[in-house]
Amino acid sequence: MPRPEQRVITFTIDGREVQAPENAMLVDAAKRGDVEIPVFCYEPKLGQPVGACRMCLVEIEGIPKLQTGCSTPVKDGMVVHTSSERVKEAQQAVVEFLLVNHPLDCPVCDKGGECPLQDITFGWGPGISRFVEPKRHFVKPLELSPTIAIDRERCILCYRCVRFSQEISEDHQLVLLERGAHSYVSTFDGHPYVAPFSGNIVELCPVGALTSQPYRFKARPWDVEDAGTVCTLCPAQCNVTLTVRDERVLRVQAREHPEVDDGWLCDRGRFAYPGAHSSKGWVGGPERVTEPLLRDGGELRPVSWERALEEAAAGLKRAGARTGALVGGEATNEEGFLLARLMREGLGSPHLDSRRAGMLALELHRALSDPRLQAKVSDLEFAHAVLVLAADPIADAPILDLRLRKGVRRHGTKLVQATAEDLRERAGELAARLRDAGEEIVILWGERLTSGPRGEAAAEALLRLADTLSLADTAGAGLLEIPAGTNGRGLREAGVLPNANPGLCETSDPRLRRVCPTGAASCGEDARERVSPQESPLDAHGMAQGLAEDELTALLLLQVDPLPDLPDGELWARALERAATVVAHATFLTDGVRAHANVVFPAQAYAEKEGTIVHPDGRIQRLRPAVAHPGSTRAQWLLLADLAARIGLDLEVRTASMASRQLFDAVPFYAGLTLEEIGGKGVRWQERPAASAYRQIEENV
Amino acid sequence: MSTKLLFDRIDEPGLNTLAVYERRGGYESLRKALRMTPEDVLGELEASGLRGRGGAGFQMGKKVSFLPKGSIEKYLVCNADESEPGTFKDRELMQKSPHMLIEGIVIAAYAAGATRSFVYIRGEYVLQADILDAALKEARAKGYVGEDILGSGHSLSLLVHRGAGAYICGEETGLLDSLEGKRGNPRLKPPFPANQGLYQGPTLINNVETLSTVPAIVRMGGAEYAKLGTETSTGTKLVSVSGHVRRPGNYEIELGIPSREIVYGLAGGPPEGREVKCWFPGGSSAPVLTGAELDIPYDFDSLAKAGSMLGSGAIIVVDDSTPILDLALKVAKFYRHESCGKCTPCREGTNWTVKMLERIDCGEATPMDLEIMASVCDHIIGNCLCVLGDAMAMPISSMIAKFRDELEAHIENRRLVAA
Amino acid sequence: MSARGWDMPADLEKYPATIPDPASTPVPEGLRREIEAHMALYPDSRSAALPALEAAQRLHGWCSPEAIEQVACVMGVTPASLDAVATFYDMLETEPVGEHSVYVCTNISCSLRGADELYAAVRDAAGEDPAFNVRAFECLGACDIAPMASVDGAYVGPLSVEDVPRLLEDARAGREVLPEMQLARRPCADPEAGR
Repeated sequence: MPRPEQRVITFTIDGREVQAPENAMLVDAAKRGDVEIPVFCYEPKLGQPVGACRMCLVEIEGIPKLQTGCSTPVKDGMVVHTSSERVKEAQQAVVEFLLVNHPLDCPVCDKGGECPLQDITFGWGPGISRFVEPKRHFVKPLELSPTIAIDRERCILCYRCVRFSQEISEDHQLVLLERGAHSYVSTFDGHPYVAPFSGNIVELCPVGALTSQPYRFKARPWDVEDAGTVCTLCPAQCNVTLTVRDERVLRVQAREHPEVDDGWLCDRGRFAYPGAHSSKGWVGGPERVTEPLLRDGGELRPVSWERALEEAAAGLKRAGARTGALVGGEATNEEGFLLARLMREGLGSPHLDSRRAGMLALELHRALSDPRLQAKVSDLEFAHAVLVLAADPIADAPILDLRLRKGVRRHGTKLVQATAEDLRERAGELAARLRDAGEEIVILWGERLTSGPRGEAAAEALLRLADTLSLADTAGAGLLEIPAGTNGRGLREAGVLPNANPGLCETSDPRLRRVCPTGAASCGEDARERVSPQESPLDAHGMAQGLAEDELTALLLLQVDPLPDLPDGELWARALERAATVVAHATFLTDGVRAHANVVFPAQAYAEKEGTIVHPDGRIQRLRPAVAHPGSTRAQWLLLADLAARIGLDLEVRTASMASRQLFDAVPFYAGLTLEEIGGKGVRWQERPAASAYRQIEENV
Repeated sequence: MSTKLLFDRIDEPGLNTLAVYERRGGYESLRKALRMTPEDVLGELEASGLRGRGGAGFQMGKKVSFLPKGSIEKYLVCNADESEPGTFKDRELMQKSPHMLIEGIVIAAYAAGATRSFVYIRGEYVLQADILDAALKEARAKGYVGEDILGSGHSLSLLVHRGAGAYICGEETGLLDSLEGKRGNPRLKPPFPANQGLYQGPTLINNVETLSTVPAIVRMGGAEYAKLGTETSTGTKLVSVSGHVRRPGNYEIELGIPSREIVYGLAGGPPEGREVKCWFPGGSSAPVLTGAELDIPYDFDSLAKAGSMLGSGAIIVVDDSTPILDLALKVAKFYRHESCGKCTPCREGTNWTVKMLERIDCGEATPMDLEIMASVCDHIIGNCLCVLGDAMAMPISSMIAKFRDELEAHIENRRLVAA
Repeated sequence: MSARGWDMPADLEKYPATIPDPASTPVPEGLRREIEAHMALYPDSRSAALPALEAAQRLHGWCSPEAIEQVACVMGVTPASLDAVATFYDMLETEPVGEHSVYVCTNISCSLRGADELYAAVRDAAGEDPAFNVRAFECLGACDIAPMASVDGAYVGPLSVEDVPRLLEDARAGREVLPEMQLARRPCADPEAGR
């Protein structure tokens, strides 16, 4: 579907000639000339403007009435005045009207200090009040949901929250009731507003009418610092800003990225922080690990780092190549990469995995990740058709659900849902239905498609379907995988697979040397010698069997607990029972770790981490530490380096960025990447020149 | 004897049935129109100079011509949400001559190329909606409405949709939202309904009286119709006269006659011993005129020149027994109640104005409050999506301007009483 | 208006009000059929919201939460989206009301002719009688018979305070209210319109 094209025009605002994209709304175009037009109801993320608050009235030469800048597309030659006496009078009037029923209880309002109503009153208001009548009063605050409080006195009826409910999340639960000055925001008959994205209304509210229950009265804007990072609670990897006070995360807000989250955040990402980032752990859930623990007499007891490292290293060395390792989806690329080196080079074990779905032939991995076949998130919005295949976006990567809705609502995208069985039995029919809608087709598929004994056949069928639909040769078309783990794609590319080295290279590839940036014989050469070529690498399931049958004796867990996180729970229970050594890097004391780990190292939560992760569409994003580690927690890269050292492998990592550099050097298609280049918005590796290296890997198969 | 186009023998028994309507030549205009091309029918409408009878007074022919051409599905909506205070003309038309409206709708839809039409009738008009439904049933059975009308190849569906009590649904975009099953909030314009109206499709919206006039225009020809009335206010107009007059009711007049002739001649003027203090010439949204302004010709332009408007053609007469404050409070409270609440100035401004007027009444106001009230009205006018706020602000402003002495005296009196 | 809503917190024990599940939302068959018939008349079935709510109100006496849930279930929309509509329109009742509606027009034209006194008289006469739903209404479009009232949908006027007892009696008995004052029978005021 054609993306909007933009022609640049010239218009005049407050006597200045300014260039802006044609048909941009005046309030946006004005910013090009450093002119701010105040708004309350206007929020482009919510779709078409409604022109309700009337704050943005401007004077346009040739039009007798004042016009709303939020809904007037700018045209070439337009002459606009935003500070004439007429406009000023109208602006002051609107502010005066809005304050007629606003309680002005700013001293006890959470919004105070970051409130558009305060700012606009200060900047554009009359400065005096002529309203002497008593203001209306209501009971306040009231619970709107377990996470949101509503203060109806403060509401200025800007429509933002109800538009979000109708037009963005489409849950249609939050509405305006009654009419005129009696209108108020509400749900039906006292039901709570509970929906997957409800928290966005708190951010949208331009006054203190909707506030976050957990954040309520926690801080003033001048007490806090903002820290930008990426949420790692699901593969959607929304960009977020963490509100931090005294080394504690008090709030999570969206940090708009048009190619990732479109400025929205799901309720899990927004409200899980008291558990995800606190030093105590989830309320009613497993507790946070903040210091090394060692099993002693059946109980996990705190010990020193030295002691824990020694015990862990000893156990792993004993097992050597009979060690398996699992990496959870929240691990960064660097953590996965260093762990893979520790396993392959330090212990000589090829048994490591980051996929829930089991082993997939390397050539299938390569074909599915082919840059020519990769769709971007924004392609979901403009595609003629999207096939959602063996995936449930609202559960797997909620924010993509909003993008799919946007495409359907705004661009008439055809949405087709199918299961693995549909692909197997009715691929032709599916292709025809998709083709009917047009050329630009995106297949949004879940990693689970490729799980189990039929996984490889399903992957092959998916590739055939992509071929039938010529996805590789069509701009705006392609595949987009939702991996089971947040950083599933990055870990795969970092070599955390039983059958691939970093960059999806062959494990027997002579370029294994790349793994060690120094190329020093001490690690690479030795390691390869120690890998028994006959021994076939095991995937997660294989490791469970191996442990249960004593072929493997040790297990290294990096932010994963097989009991709650992986299939085959019973097998894993036996496997963990049999394992001589289980070393876990864990954020929380989950069941498997609590019952079976011999050594537990505290792991960082995402707000504490530094490193990179890869979005499902190939965008490499940076995690930036916002708060300090709780207790004696250390960075994972440091822990892995220390552990490797005790096993006899010098990973040569002294800082977090050294780990990143090693990774970028090791993955051919990341070549030349720097953290600066990734910056705050990330970069899709497919769009960098080094992506051409991908072809060479494929040719070398 | 003045020309009667709409009220011609309006009380003839059974006129609401197809048999009587046909006997009187009903649906002949439709037959005639279907023999013409839609362009020619549109030409007659344009030649007639007929201006919308709902309130805005926009030329009907021009409105039809704004609709895009081509095969895209178009809608015609008849605005029968007659709710401007003082207005009751459409009610009498629909109740007594429903087929005239149906015929007008079918002809207008033919000219506009619309294939689906709706009559949005206010929910309070139960009797009239029932009568329309019954008439529609007959018209459908006879092939005047539906598929391939009278073998012309032109089709039109028509549905009577009942509102549920909201003044704002008389505003055309509020009406469209209401017809779509939503709250009747007016929409941002542009896009105008002619391009994106009902269900996002091109939509022609006309008032009952406007559409009921169409059969007469087709029958007599646009040019002939234009000879009635004045040059810019052609034709006849139904005027609803109410309030302090001896014979309240609907009258069909030729546009341009002196207003006094309507108020005194037709409606009998105020009761014995009373004088006209002020009058609303076009519903309660129109700025008031005084008794001294009764010689203004009753047409669109003359009333506009006098600072008011013809509006819906509803004359409300107020005699000298009524304090202007009472009138102002009635007006302000009505618009506060009916404001949809979408635009800030209207929502808050109507509410604030009522509070100020109430303060005058309880002796808590000073003459400065009149300044504030005038400025509040000023800040509403022209600053909202639709004209509901203006509809309160304009008459209130006119009352402050024309009856300032009385209001100031009222303020003083009440203060003394309160003290 | 309704202080109930303004001051009402959400009940956190309740489930969110999503589109009602037909399996757990019984809808009287007649109501379902009527709503479905309305839905079929429009290019977009959502247009049936007003007639559907009106039908539910006729059955339940008012747009109760239960009534709204039933309409929402048949129309496949959330109850909130219908509540937003119901509370917008004056003729849809969102509180329980008496069976017989008496809307007394108190707008300007009627008020100039004694509507406020009439309304007070109707209120006094109907008292606390639960059979009546007496409301002061905005202009009902019948200023020619001012002061007037709409009694169960039928327009009567001009009314005087003396007519009130008979008006209520007729309404209570379910017979035509004040037959000689019914608007339906009133001739046009225009002397030249005639027959």
